[in-house]
Amino acid sequence: MRIDFKLVFFVLLFSITAFCQTEQLKWQKADISYEKENNFRHRDYSFQFNDAGEVVKKSLAMTYWFFISDVDGDNCPFRPSCSSFLIDAAKETNILQTSLMFFDRFTRDMNVFKRKNHYPRVKDGHYYDPPLNYTLSETKIQYIPASSVVKE
Amino acid sequence: MRKYFILLIILNSIIIAQQDSIDFRSPENIKKFGDYLFCQGDYLRAVEEYKSVQNILRNDTVNFKMMLCYSNLGLYETSNDLYKETSWVSPFHNDIELLKIKNKLLEMPRSIQVFYDVPMDSVFSIGISKLNMTSRLYGEDIRISKSQFLSPFDEKENKAAASLYDLKTNPPYKSPALAGIMSAIIPGTGKMYSGEWADGITSFIVTGLMAFLAYDNFHAGHNTRGWIFTTLGTFFYGGNVYGSIAAAQIFNAKINFDIQDGIKLFLDHNNYFLPDYDFCK
Repeated sequence: MRIDFKLVFFVLLFSITAFCQTEQLKWQKADISYEKENNFRHRDYSFQFNDAGEVVKKSLAMTYWFFISDVDGDNCPFRPSCSSFLIDAAKETNILQTSLMFFDRFTRDMNVFKRKNHYPRVKDGHYYDPPLNYTLSETKIQYIPASSVVKE
Repeated sequence: MRKYFILLIILNSIIIAQQDSIDFRSPENIKKFGDYLFCQGDYLRAVEEYKSVQNILRNDTVNFKMMLCYSNLGLYETSNDLYKETSWVSPFHNDIELLKIKNKLLEMPRSIQVFYDVPMDSVFSIGISKLNMTSRLYGEDIRISKSQFLSPFDEKENKAAASLYDLKTNPPYKSPALAGIMSAIIPGTGKMYSGEWADGITSFIVTGLMAFLAYDNFHAGHNTRGWIFTTLGTFFYGGNVYGSIAAAQIFNAKINFDIQDGIKLFLDHNNYFLPDYDFCK
């Protein structure tokens, strides 16, 4: 069979022209968001009234979110963040101890010197500082060297 | 002429092709392949090869290499299970005993005291004494003098062993109570005592600032603001005392970690006092 190269070339050229990227698709507007996602957009402000202690703890956390965390943005250098630390501390201890742990954490948050060599880091670069290390129970302390990277 | 030449090559290739007489799956060849994998550090595959010929060859070297493979793979219990009862006629019986202790220490760092009635080669009995002594550091209380502790170690190991002994018997712990009291008297000093200088200075500034703001507002007649800063100052003060106690506890946890890490490094550095084997030379 003799191949008509001219015909093949023509069919190819025709297909390319017919099924090429249309102008509409080529220059279509892309909806890409360059906003940095903030945690406060996903905050759970709901209450569960089963436990009175839980309500007080949640109120404290919500107050912190509303007045400090949401205003400040995602600037906490620690993980868990200060508000999560407050909630986690409340799960482990009582109200008074939680408050003291939180104010201690808040003070450490304000320290701008020498943090680098004191805390291990999580993958995204934040300092790992779990509340379990501050419950005053020596058995619960998990010392992790500052040079380590921790899986959260 | 060319046709004959091609025919000759084809014919030769068929006649002198790989022959069936070479048995690549013979136990000796499997062992050789296992040795190759062992020397490449491919312990998982090496042990599979050794396992397939273990019962056929009944070779002490193969068995010991399997033990080493499992140990290097972190399967310490499996490694030790290979020789539950040491055969004292095996040329590797000393090595096996030493490796068993190494595996036990790697599996769970603890004080292990092993003694044998059967005479062992001096190199190995010293190695076992060294492991016995070093593992004592994992225990709560060493219960022997420094000279006794250092007796099996040679000059090269002495310095590191002595510093580990000193660290274990006199750990530079910080008193959490003292840290709390210090911060109660002067805010932040307890943290400084625990080595957290920057946190201590921050505590001092924050608590001092809150106290000043409270005083200044009361002085200026702004009682509400005065009370707000008093409350905040009280919490920051309490947090500073609490944090100082926690800082001392974390400092002590770091010391314990350093001791454990130091023992591990010392043992790793000396390869758990096992001799260097020339299996791959």
